[in-house]
Amino acid sequence: MSEILKRPIPLLITFVVGMLMVLEYFFTVPALTATYDTVNTWRVILYACVYLGTINLLLLHGRRVMRRDPGQWYYSAWLIVMIAAYAVLGLVWGVDSMNYRWMIDNVDVPLGATMYASLAFYMASGAYRVMKVRNLGTGLLLLSAFLVIIGNTPLFPATWEGFATIRNTIFDTFVVGSYRAIRFGVGLGGIALGIRTLVGLETGYMGRRE
Amino acid sequence: MAIIKSGYVLSFVAFILFAVVMWVYGEYSKRGRVPYVKRLPAFDAMEEAVGRAVEMGRPVVMVPGRGSFTDLFVAQTVAGLTVLNYVAGLCARYGVKLWAPMADHLVIPVARENVRDAYAAEGKLDELDVEETLPYVSGSQFAWASSVIGYYARERPAANIMVGAFWAESMMLAESAGRIGALQIGGTARLYQLPFFAAVCDYTLLGEEIFAASAYMTQDPIVITSLATTDVFRLVGWVIIIVGAILSTVGINVVYQFLSI
Repeated sequence: MSEILKRPIPLLITFVVGMLMVLEYFFTVPALTATYDTVNTWRVILYACVYLGTINLLLLHGRRVMRRDPGQWYYSAWLIVMIAAYAVLGLVWGVDSMNYRWMIDNVDVPLGATMYASLAFYMASGAYRVMKVRNLGTGLLLLSAFLVIIGNTPLFPATWEGFATIRNTIFDTFVVGSYRAIRFGVGLGGIALGIRTLVGLETGYMGRRE
Repeated sequence: MAIIKSGYVLSFVAFILFAVVMWVYGEYSKRGRVPYVKRLPAFDAMEEAVGRAVEMGRPVVMVPGRGSFTDLFVAQTVAGLTVLNYVAGLCARYGVKLWAPMADHLVIPVARENVRDAYAAEGKLDELDVEETLPYVSGSQFAWASSVIGYYARERPAANIMVGAFWAESMMLAESAGRIGALQIGGTARLYQLPFFAAVCDYTLLGEEIFAASAYMTQDPIVITSLATTDVFRLVGWVIIIVGAILSTVGINVVYQFLSI
């Protein structure tokens, strides 16, 4: 690929489209809004990239099956079978059909829910490793975590309302205050990165070829 | 009819001022007055993480988040890709296996070019298997997470670097990699995931620090000036917050009205 296609043209497209987005955000010029809406619909073209992902999956796992990678190849084979099954169901009966929905409701949803449910154990395990009093800071962390857990557990606030008040005070003062400070910084950092990207100063995400 | 949307006047003026201050700082930096950038241990530790992988003969995992280019978290995705480029360069230089699981199909082509460039810059392009290094794992949140967790368990990477936009999977990844003893560097501007990284990772990039990746890694004076600009606006923000809080307490809402312009 030529250098012009790899660097100046993407930077030009970023600038033009980025400026359009910025101007449309601030101004109420009908022509600007119409152009913005039109350009926004072009995003659909980008979704063709989903085939890149599918091709990558098939190549990678097809290779593993061909090589009979120990302990992996049968999972890869199963993945290819499932990709084919979803593709056939979706293309033949449509993604709104009962057959396709059955696959989603009985495979995707339970698996996703199981993983999500396991999050509680990850959090408990992480908390157990972290909540050790090593200095004043970790001591305060442990104390506030303990008070929040107590305040969140129905039994304790039902016994004494003060537990809920303490929990709410921690959230409404310390937590909200620090979150707002970080959010403020994130906003400023985001604007700086946005302007850098618009004017072509931020090129790290495209590689460092100078 | 007003050209600027109602309630957006001050935002627009602030945006223009931001760009102007950045330009002024840029001009100063051209004369050699480059603002000081504080040390960020998390960035410094990336070379240490790759060095650890060399010694242990294990791979490095670099996760640039699950964000895309068309969502609200695009800035974090850009930051993640910048770090990916840096880590890929280190891995190429020291001959360490890199694994960067992809979650969004729009990010894949950019990430691949990014890593190719990093390997090419080190003269190691022939050592890069882009399909294996940057595999598309899944677009589904927990399918993607379980695949990454599986990789941690099988390959036991020496280092796990996560910079970008993360959701509920952040704790799963950090805790799974922590259990196998990987050196962990985490960074995100997603506020609800930040505490997980701060608690479990060895080094953490807090919020906006991930946006400093480009400036910090390249030490480019012009890019560094944008960090100084954010500091100027942070100072202005402090003044507005303090003055606004005092005035609102005594019943004068002039700052609130000013910010609503």
